[in-house]
Amino acid sequence: MNGPNLVFEVAYRELRTHARTTAFKAITAFLVAAAIVGPVVVALWPDEDGARQVSIGLADGADRSLEETIVALAQGGLDVEFVPLSGRSQADTEAALASGDIDVIVDAPDTLVWDSQVDAPLAAILGAALQQRALLVRGEAYDLSENDVRQLLTPVDIADRIVDMTESSDFILAIAALGLFAGFLIPQVFGQLTLVSVVEEKSTGVVEVLLGHIHPRTLLLGKVLGLTLLAIGQILVFLAGLGAAMFATDSIDVSGSVWSFVPVLAVSLIGGLVFFNTLFALLGSLISRQEDASQVILPVVAPLMVGFIVGQLAIGGRADTTIIRVLTFVPPITPMLLPIRVARDAVAPWEVAAALSLLVLASWAMIRAAARVYEFTLLHSGSRVSWKKAWGFVRARPGSE
Amino acid sequence: MQRGCTVSISPGDEILISDGLSAHGLSKRFGDLVALDGLDLTVGRGQLVGFLGPNGAGKTTTMRAILGLTALDGGTISWDGAPMSVENRRDIGYMPQDRGLYPRMRVGEHIAYIGRLAGLSREGAADKARHWAERVGLGDRENDLIQELSTGNQQRVQLAVALVHEPTLLVLDEPFAGLDPVAVAMLSTVMAERVAGGASVVFSSHQLDLVQDLADELTIVSDGKTRVTGSTSELRRRSPTRLLRIEWDGPEPSWAPENATRLDAPPGVSVFRVPASSDSARLIAEAAREGTFASISYEPPGLEDVFLEIVAS
Repeated sequence: MNGPNLVFEVAYRELRTHARTTAFKAITAFLVAAAIVGPVVVALWPDEDGARQVSIGLADGADRSLEETIVALAQGGLDVEFVPLSGRSQADTEAALASGDIDVIVDAPDTLVWDSQVDAPLAAILGAALQQRALLVRGEAYDLSENDVRQLLTPVDIADRIVDMTESSDFILAIAALGLFAGFLIPQVFGQLTLVSVVEEKSTGVVEVLLGHIHPRTLLLGKVLGLTLLAIGQILVFLAGLGAAMFATDSIDVSGSVWSFVPVLAVSLIGGLVFFNTLFALLGSLISRQEDASQVILPVVAPLMVGFIVGQLAIGGRADTTIIRVLTFVPPITPMLLPIRVARDAVAPWEVAAALSLLVLASWAMIRAAARVYEFTLLHSGSRVSWKKAWGFVRARPGSE
Repeated sequence: MQRGCTVSISPGDEILISDGLSAHGLSKRFGDLVALDGLDLTVGRGQLVGFLGPNGAGKTTTMRAILGLTALDGGTISWDGAPMSVENRRDIGYMPQDRGLYPRMRVGEHIAYIGRLAGLSREGAADKARHWAERVGLGDRENDLIQELSTGNQQRVQLAVALVHEPTLLVLDEPFAGLDPVAVAMLSTVMAERVAGGASVVFSSHQLDLVQDLADELTIVSDGKTRVTGSTSELRRRSPTRLLRIEWDGPEPSWAPENATRLDAPPGVSVFRVPASSDSARLIAEAAREGTFASISYEPPGLEDVFLEIVAS
């Protein structure tokens, strides 16, 4: 077998062995369940805005013909109930207001009585109904029929044209937020899986048998490839479940801009996975026991934390600030920030190309560095290899120890 | 069994080039520690060599160097007279001292996986994995996880992993450690079969009785140097001492031969270590004068004594 075939052989073993562990199956099942259940629950959840019930008290002076107009104007927004107040004392009606039994009282032709504050949406509907009623009365003075007045009042359809695209669609922003979460969590989960796999090979001694047949670089590439494919597989299964659930509940509106956004998200995620899986493989080769893992992982998690925090600011609308622009070009953070900036339309095409190129270059450099370190440290046992020594291995000629 | 020829490399520097493995002048330092100090090892085709030495003598480092796992400071390793290539090394069957298996792989797929890395086709590796799992007595446990096996059975898997691609050179570091007698017999048979098939086998062990029974030739090392090489009988013959053992038929006399050291022995038996230059006929005559005996023997010491003499020297 030649080199690439050996890489695929190692990758296939990693993929198969890890994919059939109970932990992996359980996590994948949980993610798929969450992906399916989430949109379904949201779809089935009562729409609070549409279902809000209001009680409108009609005082003696109120025009009862208003009811029809109010109901027409409130359609789809409020569920209106009318409470006649004739015969009730002022104290009684105010007590009903205070207790919340009645939200507002329409008193006389043009007065609305509120308890402590004005309910703006309800006030707008009642105001419009009262205005309409008043215009009908005035129209009669000009020999205009009620139908004429209603035609004059028919609203013109207004089209929306958004100039500032930084307020992107909720859907794309939701995907970007998911991407941020994925860019933060997935490299850590699969990176640590890679680290554990390397340490297992060292601690069980199987690495000695493997290196009798294949080069350390082949072993590294196969491991990174296998676990990256495993991660991509899990993401795809999750997205398939999510997509199916969203289509089924009719809660997805895939616009053209999504398809230009998805490739950036995909390349960012895959680049991040390769970068961090390789880095964690390198870290695993520096130690011989699982207990020492935290010593080498902590310094790596810091940039991920920075990216996650900054990413939340970007989602919040600050995607165009200098610090976020600069951090987008830092390869370990690129997978978290770039998709959000694209979703916010706060990034130039050259920036996308440059950031992704840097990420690919950094991943390639990481593979080169890790392969060097791997050659020297895979058979090392005992105490952790220091950062200084590891850096020395990166700069050393292969096989010079 | 060994075929070879002696060639001159440079004036005053001769090495034996043979079919099979030849490691010459290996040196390696780990910081201040000298692990190998000009060590030589030769394993001919169809030869089974016992590689002996105390702990820290350099056996494992030598084996790792043969596999290319340890970069040497000096020396050469060749196969069939040419420098050991990457392809040669991929063909080696190796059983490391610390063992090495993936606990969560199944027996059959683990053996096949190493077969694939050694260059077998997918079908070939699967066939060989079945064959060797059967051969080491694990035919009915092919689908079990490695971690579910006992230590002894894991070692059987380790042996199958080393043999799956039917290598022409087998390097076994302490292969008998921890094996039960049945497994020892199985491993001994397999090693003999491989040698009969023309493979070269080198193995280290501290179980000298086994080494004595199995090995065609021994290489004893200490402090990173090769001390002696030869067959068991040659090494015993070369010993500077002999053992005189007398089983008395009656009271045991207090007599001891000249320049002899009395060794521990059961009641009624005397055992002496005497110089190899001693006159055996004279010693027997002296013993006969001191008392009557049921049996008497005069022979070179066993391998264990030879080993201790060499290492102590």
